Order: sequence, then C-alpha cells, then structure tokens
Amino acid sequence: MHTESDEDLVKRIATGDRLAMKVLFSRHQVRVYRFVLRLVRDETLAEDVISDVFMDLWRQADRFEARATVSTWLLAIARNKAWSLLRKRRDAGLDDDFAESIEDEADDPEIVLQKQDKGLAIRACLGRLSAEHREVIDLVYYHETSVEEVARIVGIPENTVKTRLFHARKKLGEALRAAGVDRGWP
Amino acid sequence: MTDAIATDPRRAEIEEMLPFYANGGLPPGDRARVEAALAGDAELRLRLEIVREDMAETILLNESLGAPSPRALDRLMAGIEAEPRQAPLLARAQTGIVAWFGQWLAAQPPRRLAYASAAVLAVVAIQGAALTGLAVRGGSGGFETASAPAARSSESYVLLSFKPEARAGDIAAFFRRFEAAVVDGPRANGFFKVRVGNAALSAAQVDAIAARMKAEDGIVSFVAPAP
Repeated sequence: MHTESDEDLVKRIATGDRLAMKVLFSRHQVRVYRFVLRLVRDETLAEDVISDVFMDLWRQADRFEARATVSTWLLAIARNKAWSLLRKRRDAGLDDDFAESIEDEADDPEIVLQKQDKGLAIRACLGRLSAEHREVIDLVYYHETSVEEVARIVGIPENTVKTRLFHARKKLGEALRAAGVDRGWP
Repeated sequence: MTDAIATDPRRAEIEEMLPFYANGGLPPGDRARVEAALAGDAELRLRLEIVREDMAETILLNESLGAPSPRALDRLMAGIEAEPRQAPLLARAQTGIVAWFGQWLAAQPPRRLAYASAAVLAVVAIQGAALTGLAVRGGSGGFETASAPAARSSESYVLLSFKPEARAGDIAAFFRRFEAAVVDGPRANGFFKVRVGNAALSAAQVDAIAARMKAEDGIVSFVAPAP
C-alpha cells in the first residue's frame, strides 16, 4: 500500500487540504503530545499546545523547507510553545506549587526500590530531572533523534547537545545512586 | 572516584556518542569508530549497557503517557474553520486563470458561447445534485473528527530487545513458544513492542510472562511489560 510521505502531506496542506491535515495530525499527534506533556505535565495544557502546533503548521505549510523532517519541525514548534508556557507559569509564580504537586505524584525512587523494581526506580528518577534534562533525554532515547536534529529542535549548538545529554545522564545516575542503585557510574 | 573515561578526551568523545549509537542516529563513520572503541574497552561497554537500560525505561515511561483525547483534533479543526481562507499562491493562480478566461470569452463567436453556457449550466446542475445528496447523507455538516472514541487496548504487550548475537531461528522459536507477535518495531534502537495476550491478562500475569522471557537470557537483552 502506498503511504503518502509527510512532505507530500505538507504540500497538500499548503493548498488548504483539510484531509491531509487530519492524516498528518493522526500520524504525529501521540509523539508530539507525549513530548509536550513531559515538559508541561498537564494533559489539558498539552492538548492545547498540540492543537496550536498543528495550527501553526496549517498557517506556515507553504514555508516548510525540506532541510528538516516534518517530525523535527513539529517537535521544534512544540518545544517553543511548551517552554513559552513554562516561562509564563514561572513568571506568574506558579512553578513552586506546581513542582510540589509533581513531587506528590511521582513515586519516590527509594520507596520504589524497596519494592525491588529497578526499572520503576529509573522511571521515578527520570520524572525528577529538570525540564532541560528531561527534554534532551526524551528526544534522544524516545524520539530517536540525531545530534543535528536535537540541535535544531532545542536551538543549541551540536556540541552543547552532547554535553547537555551527558550531564542529564550523570544527574540520572546520581539520583539513582542516592536512591540506592549503584551501576558503577557516576 | 575519578572518572577514567571523562579524563581521557578520546574515550570521552566516544562516550558522548553512545546514546546516539544506541538510538541508531550516528552516521556510518562515527558508528564504526564507536564499535572499534567498544571492542577493546570494557568500561565503555558498561556505559553502553547503562544507556540501553535508561533508554528502555524512557520508552516505557513515554508509552505510559497515553494519547491526547479527540478534543485536541476538534480544537484544531475548529481553529482551521475559523481561519480566513489562505493559500495566496492558489489565489494568485486563480487571478491569472480568470484574466485568461475573460480574454478567451471575448474572442469567441456568439453561437459557440451559447453552447458553452448550456454545457456549464449542465455541469453546475449535476454538481448541485451531488452536493445536495452529500449534505443530506452527511447530517450535521461542518467538520467531524476521524478520531475513534478513546478506546482501551484489547491486548497486552511487552517491550523487548534481543541480544545482537541472537539468531533468526532462535527468535522465531521464541515467538512461537510464547505465542507472541511483534506489533511495532524494530525501532532504530532495536526495541520491539510485542503482543503477549489479550487484555484479560492481569498485570501479574503479564509480569510473569515478561519474567519467563527474561529468563531466556541467551537471546533476550531487555524485556518489560508495556502499556
């Protein structure tokens, strides 16, 4: 069966084709949603962000340049919108309360470890990384992006991508070690 | 404790590439360099194991987040409906066609224009009938989302990766033994999403299946229940 490429769908969207928009949305909505949700940590906000992301695509489809993949383009727009929300929340002084509510929701890695589940402990520690570190870990480990793609999405040089990811991994390892899991590094 | 890799620029450079090696995102030249370094460096291989473990858990964490509700598409399509008509390129093209058509009409004799008008009227009438039929069948009009109601999965899954040395025949026998089937993958990082039964299985039963799979450590590198 012939599957239309993302790039072809974007060309159709540029001519005002709503069906192409629905196909592209169906193809990418879950991954973009999860990326945003891991940053803003609120389902309703994440849904609003993804519809805004695809609305931007609707408006700018005729300006899409094939230098990047559509998926990278969507994640870059999503990332900007999510961070803009996070900044507004910080400026409004909502971040402290919000952070506390997250702490309550996430399992404590030490308690999880008492349940003898190392995987759960790693996931609990992943949830406690800073937004900057969560973002780079998710992009590389879950969204399978290359150094160049992360640089494009986050808007940082390629060398910074590598060092930021290194520090994120190190923080994760330190959090695990503090919870009682020693993997030999860091 | 001193990090021997971090203090050796050559090994540190390779170490920073390990996550991209594991996710399949390295260009062939870098990939070969990483493989050559891994072959003679047990400490680097240990780091790669840590990377793979974190990668598997990151995937499980993300997969557990579910999907957006149909509200997201509804909101998007409502926004698109409310948007003024765009497509400037199309508009420019249409302007050109209208001008050309006006000039062509002016050049035609009256009898040919009469026949052309009758043909156009017939086409308009047929389109009108077709559109009316669509509207009657279509009911409420406007847009409708193609999203299915947020259905729960009817199957149980695990996330699985095989050891590089696992042979195709062993893998096929493994799937037969567990009556399992791949539903997604392999991804670039080597993970498969595998169906292990229907949704009637309890979490404990899926855990037990995952544990039995894990025991096949001659071929299985990682396995965990997946949402």
